Amino acid sequence: MKLTKTFDKALWVFHVNSGSCNGCDIEIVAALTPRYDVERFGIKLVGSPRHADVLLFTGPVTRKMKDRVLRVIEQTPDPKVVMVVGNCGSTTGVFYDSYAIDGPIDTLLPEGTPIVYVTGCPTRPENLINGVKEAWLFLEKLRGDDK
Amino acid sequence: MPTSTVFTLIKQLLTKKATNPFPVKYTPGNMHAAASLIESGKLSINPPVDIPPNFRGKLSYDVESCIGCKLCLKVCPSEALAFKPDEKKVKHYVSRCTFCGQCVNICPKDCFVLTDEFLMAGLDNYSDELVLNP
Repeated sequence: MKLTKTFDKALWVFHVNSGSCNGCDIEIVAALTPRYDVERFGIKLVGSPRHADVLLFTGPVTRKMKDRVLRVIEQTPDPKVVMVVGNCGSTTGVFYDSYAIDGPIDTLLPEGTPIVYVTGCPTRPENLINGVKEAWLFLEKLRGDDK
Repeated sequence: MPTSTVFTLIKQLLTKKATNPFPVKYTPGNMHAAASLIESGKLSINPPVDIPPNFRGKLSYDVESCIGCKLCLKVCPSEALAFKPDEKKVKHYVSRCTFCGQCVNICPKDCFVLTDEFLMAGLDNYSDELVLNP
């Protein structure tokens, strides 16, 4: 599908908790509150991956969640951007030697899926917005508008 | 007709909004153009909300004063530090860190300091900015 300019102005987000401690999940919700208000950028949390453009993953992928994570990725229509919120998802963090972890998330994703890593443990809501900025820059580069 | 509703409406129009418009109020038309404007100083970004006291942000590492005692490696719960044997210094991966501050407390030479920096996002989690003393 062709990427249009309106795509970045209304990124619909689906949030997947793949074994997170709830720290990053709280920060995602905090970003939606009037204090930070990401809806002014057209970002909206939706209830189904079929409606989403961006997938927010929090937490290292636990064994039980692995199949569900893969299924959510398959259900999301292309073009999509994956945002990994927090250090657990990006490198598994403190759970690096756990037997119950199948992560990090980037090892499970299909080849070539664009991933934005939002570093922090947990991240602050501003950093999430900063991550969205990186996603916009990436999408513009994909469209060829990076002049 | 001045009812209480009208007064409330006027009051709400005049009060400051609760939203902190970080980094800009609405989505810019072109992010690359906006980024170059910010770099040249033509467009200013709104600062983020004030961080709380004793905030634990990205670590800063003083390479010169490090003596290579490896105490930080022993206390790190997430293997965010790696030892460089030829240099006798450590390497810190910010994307593995849990920002617990145990290395700051145990370091005898106070090489590690927790800074206020928290804006770290990108397409690479092992980029040069996220690896200290690479």
